[in-house]
Amino acid sequence: MAARIGIFAVVVAVFLSIPAFSSAQDLQIVNAERRIDLSSHIVKAFLTLKVENIGKNPAAEMLLAFSPTQIKNLAMVQALAITGKKKKKTYLPLDVKPTEQPDAPNDTGYYRVTFISPLGPGETVSLEVLYILTHSLEPFPVEITQSESQLVYYHDSAVILSPYHVKQQTTFVKTPSTRVESFTSIEPANRAGKEIKYGPYENRASYSYAPVIIHFENNSPFAVVEELVREIEISHWGSLQITEHYRLTHGGARHKDVFSRVDYQSKRSVSGASSFNALLAVLPPRVNSVYYRDDIGNISTSHLRTGFRKSELEFEPRYPLFGGWRATFIIGYRVPLEDYLFEASDGRRYLNFTFGCPLVETIVNKLTIKVVLPEGSKDPSAVLPFTVNQELQVKYSYLDIVGRTVVVLQKDNVVPTHNVPFQVYYTFKPIYMLAEPFMLVSAFFFVFVASLAYVHIDLNIARK
Amino acid sequence: MAAKPIASPIPVALYPTLSVFTLAIGLVITAIFFIYETTSSRKNRSLGKELATSAVASVFLGFGSLFLLLASGVYV
Repeated sequence: MAARIGIFAVVVAVFLSIPAFSSAQDLQIVNAERRIDLSSHIVKAFLTLKVENIGKNPAAEMLLAFSPTQIKNLAMVQALAITGKKKKKTYLPLDVKPTEQPDAPNDTGYYRVTFISPLGPGETVSLEVLYILTHSLEPFPVEITQSESQLVYYHDSAVILSPYHVKQQTTFVKTPSTRVESFTSIEPANRAGKEIKYGPYENRASYSYAPVIIHFENNSPFAVVEELVREIEISHWGSLQITEHYRLTHGGARHKDVFSRVDYQSKRSVSGASSFNALLAVLPPRVNSVYYRDDIGNISTSHLRTGFRKSELEFEPRYPLFGGWRATFIIGYRVPLEDYLFEASDGRRYLNFTFGCPLVETIVNKLTIKVVLPEGSKDPSAVLPFTVNQELQVKYSYLDIVGRTVVVLQKDNVVPTHNVPFQVYYTFKPIYMLAEPFMLVSAFFFVFVASLAYVHIDLNIARK
Repeated sequence: MAAKPIASPIPVALYPTLSVFTLAIGLVITAIFFIYETTSSRKNRSLGKELATSAVASVFLGFGSLFLLLASGVYV
């Protein structure tokens, strides 16, 4: 009996002494400043947070909360820890991962940020969080004529949604032009030129939310690539051939009524203010054999400027794009192999290439990157800084017997911030390169042997 | 981090020149083979000589056509 009580006491003591990392209520945000940039159709928000640990246990991580609509449209979340003062500030990247919490109110979505070292009780840390939202500007009116300007809604909260108590916060919203039709006013809120200031708000409880709608003019090009398939073909004989298939749309207010070419060309500043007719693609520096064509044929309205650090291809579709209009085209180019294929220290070869879409300021709804490895490659694997869907396919191309392995990487909701290098590793024995010339040599030899057989075989019926 | 760039075993700028020379040599040896076929009689023909000539000719022609494909942009 005494032994049982003793065991029970020991078990309870063990449970109580396990160092528990703090729950959500042990952190507090002392100061938060949010800057939302609405200049283009990709919404960028910069959060500067000063987090304090008011609990008794060290905190290893914190949670960032997003409303259900924002979680669906979030393209990227990055966090940096700021150390040092004024001139000697250093920024260290932090690990950010999406996470689910069991007791989330109203389907809130979360991202977990892991600190570099656990935050002790009473300590503060400064963080800078960048998050990017796509498809968050809703055109209103939904349809506009050629001579109207494009107005959009932006839905957000004046108070930062957070699972922690926020002592002081301010939000600055930057619009592309001074024309703001209306904005929800949650005291104190005021507008000066292109900036709307919400705040400062004091002592808001956790999960407080004050929805605001800002109705403003945004004529920046709403270039949305619905589907992009990039095929990178590696040839060990010296080049990398990249072929990109685009399906481009204008993602803003839909165009209604007629399109008048006369109005468009004579009153260009008024007519088609939200339309765009030229796009810029940033290509690698030593690029050659660039082509721009579609199903009809070659499109000649393009300019290529090669440079030392990058090349720029400025191209125009066959017609300007208004809201809801589509253009499909193919861009292809070749780059030298030695810029992108390397040998790792363990003997494997790897391709180091840039992920994402070469077009500037465009959202890609569905991006597929296919890396075609040469015949005879084994054990392919891809290394990326973010999650993608991976699979393997087989492609039959010139002089192929068994086919080439294709590593397919697929990602949704891609923004220009995703243009970071990624690697694809594989093993390859150089002797396999001789398979192609050997096939050609044996084909020619077969022709010679056939002619020899023809000369030697005696088809006479009469005996000599 | 030993990041050694991998390049083609033969410099890419040499592909057009190499293709012209290897194809030329291959065609010359093909000519030698067919001249041997037509000028020798059935008794004097030596199968070893024929096979050797055709093997050398097919090697040169094979590599020549590979370099021709590479030089014209079909990176096989």
